[in-house]
Amino acid sequence: MKGNKMESKFNDERYLTFALGKGRLASKTLDIFEKIGITCEEMRDKSSRKLIFVNEELKMKFFLAKGPDVPTYVELGSADIGVVGYDTILEENRNVYEVLDLGFGKCRMCVCGPESAKDLLLHHERIRVASKYPNIAKDYFYNKKHQTVDIIKLNGSVELGPLVQLSDVIVDIVETGSTLRENGLGVLEEVCPLSARMIVNPVSMQMEKARIRELVMKIRAYLESENQENK
Amino acid sequence: MNQRLLHTPEGVRDIYGKEYARKLEVENRLHSLIASYGYEDIQTPTFEYFDVFSKEIGTIPSKELYKFFDKEGNTLALRPDFTPSMARCAAKYFMEETHPIRFTYKGNTYVNTSNLQGKLKEVTQMGAELIGDASVEADGEMIALVVESLKKAGLQEFQVSIGQVEYFKGLCQEAGLDEETEMDLRACISGKNFFAAAELLKERNVSDPYRETLLKVADLFNSMTSLNDAKKLVHNERSLAAIERLEKLDEVLRLYGVADYVSYDLGMLSKYNYYTGVIFKAYTYGVGNAIITGGRYNTLLARFGKDAPAVGFAIVIDDLMEALARQKAQIPTGETLQVEYTPGNASVFASALSKAMELRAQGKCVSLIAKEN
Repeated sequence: MKGNKMESKFNDERYLTFALGKGRLASKTLDIFEKIGITCEEMRDKSSRKLIFVNEELKMKFFLAKGPDVPTYVELGSADIGVVGYDTILEENRNVYEVLDLGFGKCRMCVCGPESAKDLLLHHERIRVASKYPNIAKDYFYNKKHQTVDIIKLNGSVELGPLVQLSDVIVDIVETGSTLRENGLGVLEEVCPLSARMIVNPVSMQMEKARIRELVMKIRAYLESENQENK
Repeated sequence: MNQRLLHTPEGVRDIYGKEYARKLEVENRLHSLIASYGYEDIQTPTFEYFDVFSKEIGTIPSKELYKFFDKEGNTLALRPDFTPSMARCAAKYFMEETHPIRFTYKGNTYVNTSNLQGKLKEVTQMGAELIGDASVEADGEMIALVVESLKKAGLQEFQVSIGQVEYFKGLCQEAGLDEETEMDLRACISGKNFFAAAELLKERNVSDPYRETLLKVADLFNSMTSLNDAKKLVHNERSLAAIERLEKLDEVLRLYGVADYVSYDLGMLSKYNYYTGVIFKAYTYGVGNAIITGGRYNTLLARFGKDAPAVGFAIVIDDLMEALARQKAQIPTGETLQVEYTPGNASVFASALSKAMELRAQGKCVSLIAKEN
C-alpha cells in the first residue's frame, strides 16, 4: 500500500516472466494481451524453435509449458505469472495466487458414465473411478460425497474406462459432451465449472506489485468491456 | 562400492565446503544481531509429543508432520516450526515470570511435503520470540529486527508486508459468519483466490454490504491503497482497533528508521492458526516464498497454561541463502593457510608446527599439509 518508492526502485531492469499453457490457451491469452497493447510477434511464429520469447520494450519474457507444469514454474518463482486452466490449478494444488478469470476455455469437470452407473453414486458404495485428475476426483468423492472410491490414473482417452470395464465411472472435462454421447456415456454429476485463470507467484505479487496490478487492471477492464458488448 | 548408500533421501541434503561456510557466516551475523537486542539462546528437542504441534495448537496439517512412536506408544513428531516449543518452554520454566522473556533459537525443522516438487523437507530456521509484552513497541521491535536481519545478511532488495488478523476476524464477526465459513473464507483469502471467495460467500448466503466488504479484502487489486481506505470500509470496533494498532506500529517503525521497507496488506492471513494480531512476511527476489514469517500469538501460551501475550518471527536460513546466491551477494568466508612439513623429518616438522601454532595464536586458520620429498 505504501512503499511505492521501493517498487519503482527495484523494477527498472527486471523482466516479468509469463508461463503460458501450450496450445489454444496460449493463443487466446496472446489475443487478449494484444488487445491491451502487449505484443510478442516472435511467439506467433509457428516455425520458431525458440523456447523463450522476449519483448525488450516492455521488459517481458514469455515461455510455453505443458499445462500441468505451469503452476510449478509459478510456485517456484521461475515465472512471475502463469495462464492455465482451473482444472490444472485444482489438480496441482500449488501455493500460487489466483488473480483473474480470463473467461475463455469454459467447460465443466464432471463425473461421467453409463446411465446404469447413476445408482452407484447414491449409496456411498465403493466404486472404481478412472481419471486424468486423481486429486480432483479424490477430493470430490472423499470430501464432498464422502464416498470411498478406488481411483485409477489414466493419461488420456479416459472415456474408455467404463467401456472396457476398467472403471465404473470417470471424472473428466466435458465441453460439448459429444464424445461421451457417441460412446453411450453421459454426465452424471457436475464437480465444478472450469475456465482459464491467471496465477501469480506470491513473492512476485509483493515485489512487482505495481506492474502486476497495472496488467491485471487492464485485462479486467478489457474483459468487462467485452462482456458489455456481448450483452 | 554400494552406490545406493551415497544418496540422501529426497528433500534433505548435505551442505559442506564454501556453501556451509557462507551459511555459518550468515547465521553468525544474524545471531549476533538478535543477541544484541537482548535475546537469550534457547535449545529445544528436535522431536516432541505430537500434541505440542496438533491441530488445536494450529501449526501445519497433521499429515505433513513426521510422526513416530516411542516404546510406550506415545506419538512423537519432528518439529515443523519452533513457536509451539518456545511457548511450551516459556510456560514450563517461566510460569511465575512477569517481566518480558526474550528467546532466540536456531535449528532444523521438518515438514513432510509431497515428493517431486522441488521443496526441502529439512530446513534451518532461526528466530526470535518476545513473550510477555503486548505493546505495539514489542511488535515494532520484531519488525525492526526482521528488516535489520535481512540487511545484515547482505540483502538490499526486500519488502516486509504487514497484516492484522483481527481486521479480518472483526469483519467476519460483523457479517455474522459461522466458524466453518470463516475458516473456508480464510483459506480463499490467504490464497488470494478472489473467485473462490466470491463463490463461497454466494453459496453461504452472506448478505450484501458484508459480502462486498469481505470481497474487497480478498481482492489484491482493489482501490484500498492505504490504512485510511481500509478504515473507511469497516464499522466494527475490532477491525477499527486493528487499523489503529497498525497506525501506531507505523509510528514505531519510523522511529526505528525501517518504515520504508514495509507495506500493509490487510488481506494477508497466515496458514498458522495461532496468530492473533499483527502478522508479517518478508519477501525478496530469487525465492518463490516468504523468507521470514512471523506475528503475534497472544493465546498460544494459554494452551500450555501460561496466559501471556507473545510475538515472534522465524527466518528460513536455507531460503535466505538461496536468495543471496541468486542475487549474487558477496559473503566473505575465512581463508585457511597451509603450512607444509615432511613426514618423518622431526626438525622440519618442529619448525612447521611452531609456525602453524604461532599463526593459530594470531587467530588465523592453519592446516598442516604433508609433503613427500
